[in-house]
Amino acid sequence: MTDGTGHSRTERLFWGAGSAVVVAYALLPVAWILALSLKPAADLGDNRFFPRAFTLDHYAAVFHDPQFPAALWNSVGIAVLATLAAVLLGMLAAYAIVRLEFPGRRLILAAALAIAMFPPVSIIGPLFNMWRTLGLYDTWAGLILPYMTFTLPLSIWTLAVFFREIPWDLDKAARVDGATPLQAFVRVIVPLAAPGVASAAILVFLFAWNDFLFAISLTSTNAARTAPAAIAFFTGSSRFAQPTGSIAAASVVVTVPVILMVLLFQRRIVAGLTAGAVKG
Amino acid sequence: MAAIELCNVTRRYPGAIAVRDVSFTIHDGEFFILVGPSGCGKSTLLNMIVGLESVSAGEIRVDGQVVNDLDPRERNMAMVFQSYALYPHMSVRENLAFPLRLARLPPQEIDRRVHEAAGILEIGELLERRPRVLSGGQRQRVAMGRALVREPRAFLLDEPLSNLDAKLRVQMRTEIARLQRRLGTTTVYVTHDQTEAMTLGDRVAVLHKGEVLQVGSPRALYERPANLFVAGFIGAPAMNFLPARWTGGRLELPIGTLTVPEGWHGLARAAGSRALVAGVRPEHFSAVRPTGAVPAGLALDVQADVVEWLGADLFVYFDVNLEGFESPALPEESGLVRPGQRRRALVARMDPASGVREGDSVRLYLDPAQIHLFEAASGAHLP
Repeated sequence: MTDGTGHSRTERLFWGAGSAVVVAYALLPVAWILALSLKPAADLGDNRFFPRAFTLDHYAAVFHDPQFPAALWNSVGIAVLATLAAVLLGMLAAYAIVRLEFPGRRLILAAALAIAMFPPVSIIGPLFNMWRTLGLYDTWAGLILPYMTFTLPLSIWTLAVFFREIPWDLDKAARVDGATPLQAFVRVIVPLAAPGVASAAILVFLFAWNDFLFAISLTSTNAARTAPAAIAFFTGSSRFAQPTGSIAAASVVVTVPVILMVLLFQRRIVAGLTAGAVKG
Repeated sequence: MAAIELCNVTRRYPGAIAVRDVSFTIHDGEFFILVGPSGCGKSTLLNMIVGLESVSAGEIRVDGQVVNDLDPRERNMAMVFQSYALYPHMSVRENLAFPLRLARLPPQEIDRRVHEAAGILEIGELLERRPRVLSGGQRQRVAMGRALVREPRAFLLDEPLSNLDAKLRVQMRTEIARLQRRLGTTTVYVTHDQTEAMTLGDRVAVLHKGEVLQVGSPRALYERPANLFVAGFIGAPAMNFLPARWTGGRLELPIGTLTVPEGWHGLARAAGSRALVAGVRPEHFSAVRPTGAVPAGLALDVQADVVEWLGADLFVYFDVNLEGFESPALPEESGLVRPGQRRRALVARMDPASGVREGDSVRLYLDPAQIHLFEAASGAHLP
């Protein structure tokens, strides 16, 4: 296997095996949760990976409990609004940073990066007190604001990279063709930066969707509690039953849309939009 | 249709001046060229006319109206960019229609104008394609088309041909000239290529380091360059430059001493002992003795170093010894300066029928009346 002819086969085997290990490592917990969610309650502690019998009881239970559907709705609403806000503000900021000469341009980028590196856990305490005073505690806005703030730097940096690749002549051509600065931005620049907007949106959405820290600390009721926080408050069907099955089912419900969305957008990003779109 | 007037226009950047105190008038319907080496401020000037850059000082007037503070869309001028700047996410049709849709024209009118422009530029069958599948020449036409549909007051073209290959460039050059004549729209054309400037322009402005050195017809620039820079920039191959000085009423050059025409004597007295530069166009070295030249010309025997045969022309390069002369300061862009150089290569344009080959000895004649004299220090052409 070490001679010249076997080399490429060895190499392929190596990479293939390597990929398989990584994929298995990443998917194993997901598969486990999926398996758990499908087991009948009595089998939950049977020390088997594959369920002996399948049931959708846990899914039915999760959705019958009024808590979880409300949390899911909060999650969707808060994540979507936070994404819209972060991407919209990020687009405007990134465009200004890329196209305008103004003092402190680099400072803004550096500050944005610094915010991104700031550990969120260190502001949870103050934020809790502030939100209580301001009446933002346990509201949608109370979560949208920190999500937007912590993802804005990411959104600005991602979009700035895309805007920078769009030739400046296109803005100028649009202006000469009779567009206002806003029309030039909306009709020429934004469509061309669509892949960047999509990637920024995915990143922001994932952050908001997956967040547990802010959600658990800044909410207390179904008014704003998101799915990850709600799952933590699950109880079993009786005081003595473990809620493992419900937690697994809820986790699957929360994970599936994310996986679908990433697969969907990844296809779009990779396939169509970047290929020669910008380099007219 | 518009006359564009520039009055002491200046553009300052932090720490630099891109355009300094430029004044000239572009007449209604004229094909006007801004030419100069890269970084001379010609594109900045164009951007100021169209409104993409602000004017630091001075005034730009279109048909007498000051447009300094007008937004580009209020100026109704169309621009063709060097990169063409076609919108990659729109089809050719949408690209052409874009300025009309912004102007909120009725759909039938948009359609009519798009088809008219497509017809003129012969891009009718490309309307549904995306820019990225078009060839360079086709993109160029679409860019022209997008300028055309507007029926603007002026066309502004920023090096529109420099991304095309040599053959296509010549073809598009002729086409642009024909189009401009047909439409009669005022056109400002920026280029660094003196051949484009000479062939296209009704009038040409030569820019250098943000200043306009000379404005005139191509012929005037060629025959009466105002200074060393213009003389070296216009014409290909470039004008030959030699250090020169007056000695006893005669003009002394490294290639010999000349008796100058009567009219130059006043000049000689005025110049005194100042360093001079003599300029000779390659075609003014002639292989036959000029008949009737008074005073008689200079004959020089040279050895052909390099011979370039171009079919209709024959360029013969030969070395001249500069021993005993100060090397004059020449414009950098002419590619002729090499400080401390003791020899200089000159070029003569000859008849290919002469059959000169490399290494041959050639006798050349120079008519003194064809010599341009410049003051070395200021570069100004001496009258």
